[in-house]
Amino acid sequence: MTPSSPRLNELQLAALARELDAIEAEARADLGEADLAHIRRVMRVAFVAEVAGRGLLAFGVDPLSFVLGTGALTLSKILENMEIGHNVMHGQYDWSRDPELDSRAYEWDIVSPSASWRHAHNFEHHTYTNVLGRDRDLGYNLVRVSAEQPWNPGYLVQPLTALGLGLFFEWGVALHDLRLEELRSGESSPREVWARARPFLRKAGWQLGKDYVFFPLLAGPNAPRVLLGNHLANLGRNLWAFAVIFCGHFPEGAEVFPEADLEDESRGHWYLRQLTGSANIEGGRAMHLLSGHLSHQIEHHLFPTVPAWRYPEMARKVREVCARWGLPYNTAPLGTQLRSVARKLLRHALPTRPRRPEPEPTAAEAPTPARPPIAA
Amino acid sequence: MTSPLPRLPRLPPLPWLSARDRLADAARRLFLDRQARFWLRALDPLLDPSGLRARVRRVVEETADVRTFVLEPGPGWRGHRAGQHTTIEVPIDGVLTRRCYSISRAPGALAITVKRVPGGRVSGWLHDHLHAGAVIGLSPAAGDFVLPEPLPPRPLFLTAGSGITPALAMLEELARRDALGGATLVHHARSREDVIARGWLEGLAREHAGFRLVPLLDDAPDGPPGFEPQRFRALVPDFAERATFLCGPPGLMTRVEALYASAGASGRLRRERFVAARPAVSAPSAAARVRLARSGQTVTLEGPGSLLEQLERAGVRPEHGCRMGICLSCRCEKLAGVTRDHDTGATSEEPEPIRLCVSTACSDLELDL
Repeated sequence: MTPSSPRLNELQLAALARELDAIEAEARADLGEADLAHIRRVMRVAFVAEVAGRGLLAFGVDPLSFVLGTGALTLSKILENMEIGHNVMHGQYDWSRDPELDSRAYEWDIVSPSASWRHAHNFEHHTYTNVLGRDRDLGYNLVRVSAEQPWNPGYLVQPLTALGLGLFFEWGVALHDLRLEELRSGESSPREVWARARPFLRKAGWQLGKDYVFFPLLAGPNAPRVLLGNHLANLGRNLWAFAVIFCGHFPEGAEVFPEADLEDESRGHWYLRQLTGSANIEGGRAMHLLSGHLSHQIEHHLFPTVPAWRYPEMARKVREVCARWGLPYNTAPLGTQLRSVARKLLRHALPTRPRRPEPEPTAAEAPTPARPPIAA
Repeated sequence: MTSPLPRLPRLPPLPWLSARDRLADAARRLFLDRQARFWLRALDPLLDPSGLRARVRRVVEETADVRTFVLEPGPGWRGHRAGQHTTIEVPIDGVLTRRCYSISRAPGALAITVKRVPGGRVSGWLHDHLHAGAVIGLSPAAGDFVLPEPLPPRPLFLTAGSGITPALAMLEELARRDALGGATLVHHARSREDVIARGWLEGLAREHAGFRLVPLLDDAPDGPPGFEPQRFRALVPDFAERATFLCGPPGLMTRVEALYASAGASGRLRRERFVAARPAVSAPSAAARVRLARSGQTVTLEGPGSLLEQLERAGVRPEHGCRMGICLSCRCEKLAGVTRDHDTGATSEEPEPIRLCVSTACSDLELDL
């Protein structure tokens, strides 16, 4: 039994794994035309919105078309990054063999090159979710979201750091994937870092060229208007992605885990770690779609390769399992989760101390409601 | 032995191609390529620039279990020679699936003729779900089972079942060029009703005096074995002197090949296999050999575990990550062979990327490692 999961023994974890495996198998058996119809419909909306947005920005002269154009372009970028790019690159549609939905071939409209993001995200983050020292997405090495992360005075300004990260999130993600800090620790040679940086610089150059030179120039006298609209669309998409992702793992209640948990970790414990290390956002269909269904971060972490639009349906079964096993299921509306993340950022800006793990509950206590997480 | 071979440096682009390549590269990096694909496809699916497409014009019932799909290819179609085949691509339950079919019409028209194989996933789907108006993927025509130029004077076609389809295209071509006189078709079918394009063939025989049509029917009183050597020699005494085109199931092919070899006429025999040689499929995890295409080495998989674990045990170290099927780091192109994905439960028979960490071999394999 590991410190952060004192509530289930290995036998119980194996049973839990079987139940969650069954939920995945059921969804997988049903994969087919409907999944493709969904993702192609979203792609259609994103393509049309991009053309409409760029057209309104380039050819309009009035403020209304500027607002509408910027809005449409933002919508297109959000859909492309969240529901299409992120999910396709998770291999959610690889089974269809459609070359346009191939996880290896897809490139997204963001400065981080797909290949380096896929490694950092699909492997490091999804395998070692919320494990201190292993999951580099834990606070992105920029902010302190748990008392277990060592404090330094730089964290005093982390509310501002977080705001900056939000505005330039795509750059934060790209720099994060370069692992520049390994230069200082000696884990990577300058050569290795340069090898990682080159595809990024190349992609970033094209991205900047596209939104800040190419499309503005195409618009002739409307260039400043297009440039501003493009920039606002990028900022809007960045802020939205940042908000959704920070709500996914950092609200109060989302647990962090010691590295020792990884030793000989069973599938059941991996599931438990995904379940207790993630948090959902409640909302309607639009919320789910615009978040790329990361509003179901819990289901996404349990079943990362299942097409994400199936998460709402799978969530009902996951919640039922959680209720039966007495496991926490962290979910709240966007505003609540954002406030929760903000409180955490403020609190851990100061040198907080980790709380001691609670003594293990006896069997009679087992199905109690959510236990205080170790990383409160 | 185990360290991966260094990848070859990319050659500089040819100067006369570079302008176009650069433009295509720029379009891709500005995401204009997928916009272009989307709008062209919306305009007409046949214009899809990502690959050849064809629209089903008509579906013709040939026999109880054979249908001809008349196709209208998109602008990228470069035509074909009579006897060639094409690989079609259709989404079966959303999964793009490919099958190779002979083209059953002479150049100028395009059609494939498909027999419903009992239990056949693709042929069954084509019969049940492919209707007029549907758009399918298509590969350029390929194959060297074609009429030689100049045309042979007295060609002989030996076919059975749906093996007749490339011969139909060749016969049409010969008829069109008024070179059918002297041709013979010996075709084996279960019954008269099972002869594909029977009406058309009988019309050809009426119109072209020199064309001989020899049906061998299982239910005829003097029925087959038609390609039994003695009977065949009696039917076509001069077979060894004629340019021969053979297409049918493996048993027939072997018998006719032996016959021509014994007559010293193997050189006159052209063959088209329409049943792909299937690899021997075994239960997962049995010892299988894996050819690694990039390094050229071949290793034997032994012991329990996934392909990834077995490869590692054999001294190969493929790129990998989570070892549980989620991160796709070990996803690698399987060039040949059958594997089973234990995560999805699916069996993979065609060349496609697989996740090594959750797959096992069901046959000998070739991997892009």
